[in-house]
Amino acid sequence: MRPLMLQGHERSITQIKYNREGDLLFSCSKDQKPNVWYSLNGERLGTYDGHQGAVWCLDVDWESRKLITGAGDMTTKLWDVEYGTIIASIPTKSSVRTSNFSFSGNQAAYSTDKAMGQNCELFIIDVRNADSSLADQTPTLRIPMTESKITSMQWGPLDETIITGHDNGNIAIWDVRKGQKVVDSGSDHAAGINDMQLSKDGTMFVTASRDTTAKLFDSESLMCLKTYKTERPVNSAAISPILDHVVLGGGQDAMEVTTTSTKAGKFDSRFFHLIYEEEFARLKGHFGPINSLAFHPDGKSYASGGEDGFVRVQTFDSTYFENIFE
Amino acid sequence: MKAMKTSWADEVDADYVDGLPPDKVHTDGNFKYVTEYKFNEEGKKVKVVRTYEYKKQTVPKVVARRRNWLKFGDSIDDKPGPCAQTTMVSEEVHMVFLSSKELEQANEPQMEPGKKMAKCRICNGEHWSVNCPYKGTSMDSKTLMESKATAAAAAAVSDTSKTGKYVSPFLKEGGCAINGINGSTGGKPWDRERSTVRISNLSESMTEADLEELVKSIGPYSKLYLAREKSTGLCKGFAYVHFKFRQDAAAAIEILNGHGYDHLILSVEWSKPQP
Repeated sequence: MRPLMLQGHERSITQIKYNREGDLLFSCSKDQKPNVWYSLNGERLGTYDGHQGAVWCLDVDWESRKLITGAGDMTTKLWDVEYGTIIASIPTKSSVRTSNFSFSGNQAAYSTDKAMGQNCELFIIDVRNADSSLADQTPTLRIPMTESKITSMQWGPLDETIITGHDNGNIAIWDVRKGQKVVDSGSDHAAGINDMQLSKDGTMFVTASRDTTAKLFDSESLMCLKTYKTERPVNSAAISPILDHVVLGGGQDAMEVTTTSTKAGKFDSRFFHLIYEEEFARLKGHFGPINSLAFHPDGKSYASGGEDGFVRVQTFDSTYFENIFE
Repeated sequence: MKAMKTSWADEVDADYVDGLPPDKVHTDGNFKYVTEYKFNEEGKKVKVVRTYEYKKQTVPKVVARRRNWLKFGDSIDDKPGPCAQTTMVSEEVHMVFLSSKELEQANEPQMEPGKKMAKCRICNGEHWSVNCPYKGTSMDSKTLMESKATAAAAAAVSDTSKTGKYVSPFLKEGGCAINGINGSTGGKPWDRERSTVRISNLSESMTEADLEELVKSIGPYSKLYLAREKSTGLCKGFAYVHFKFRQDAAAAIEILNGHGYDHLILSVEWSKPQP
């Protein structure tokens, strides 16, 4: 295969996401401009200009109309996907680490960092009639996180719950009506959760942790179902929508990158069998750790964004589909 | 109306921007060829031909509608189609499929193929002698024994036979210089019957067990003495070994003298009598 290399960022990629149909690919990085691309040919549709700090997270709603981003400039912004204009800019008290639309697109959640004397907090806002007045509205729900800061987040089934992954390795489920913790996974992971991604039907999700493992959890009970072991911190993991495959991306800590050769750095995308927990394939490409991974919703290609600032869109060869797991 | 007819070469040149021919777009069936001219880093003219293929795809209505969106932000001035600055096709990469066997190999540290590994002096393994797992064990001295066996044999024999080889003065037939200096046994070599060697330059961490390990493969011995510091109990750096047979003592000198042990080179010689 010949992957598409998308070079729209000047600094390391923090998150990439496909929209529901998979024709658009969104990427954000530590520079200030999230980008949107046509995933088919790698053409850049535009950039979302307005943030003044590193953009940590983004999410697009299911209609691909609105985009939410959270950044280190202490704002979370809602964007019009088509025109690249800001719908609303919501100020926060510390940088925004995660932001997600609910499945219906009626609500959005974002969480702030524990920094500058501020506690980590989870906010839920109503975005049905979003306009610039959203900045002054009070969130529909605020949950202070007293224990450890949120590092990744997903909405649970039917928009009733929120699943949060924390810096200490904990995973918790919160009821968005009561604002209470419903389930706590305890300490399945020994170190911080870098990423969580749901399976296509939302019944399971895969976590990527600094403790060098990725784990598969049941989204309702938070029971750990499978563990995928590697030797390096895992920055991102994604479940294939069509096959029983999980792809893991990571590498050693960014601060050690300059002292390691590409060969020894293990910057490959690593494919594990979802059920057998065994690695069956690797794919090279990045020359820095992979920070974010996303499967195309049709499962025939996937994209990876790395510390090297590139987004690579890889379309699988027939060998990938012919490869029968032994 | 033209006042003066210019040569065709001038006319062509006049169209050039900065001395470069204009870009051309040529369409042939499902293929589009874009020809660009530019200067490369060395200041030379380069012609770049990009080939695009048109493909028809059936997509949902919303996706088709999104295809017609106008570009915005930093891409506002880009022409339709991928922009060469932001979108590149990378080199061919292949997915590496791993069987469980390959997986183990893949996890092992990869060596530079051109670079040769060190060869161990002790076990001939592919590592430095310092890292040898057999270092300091009987195997350590055994291999050395093998390599020096002939030399040792020759040394033992050289007691009587005159060869060109250097022979320790104590071994020489008919007494030695020290004998004369000491004058202890009056003509008869004082050390004829003695079979004690002094091993020096031992490391501090040396123990009796280590010493035994070192010498037991050479031959039977009657007594080992490892000098220790009284206050600390650490090895003072030398030891005496009383062998049962003189040949073994000679062999020990031959084998162990200059032999690396721990991180030091041993020095082994005949024990000198107390004055």
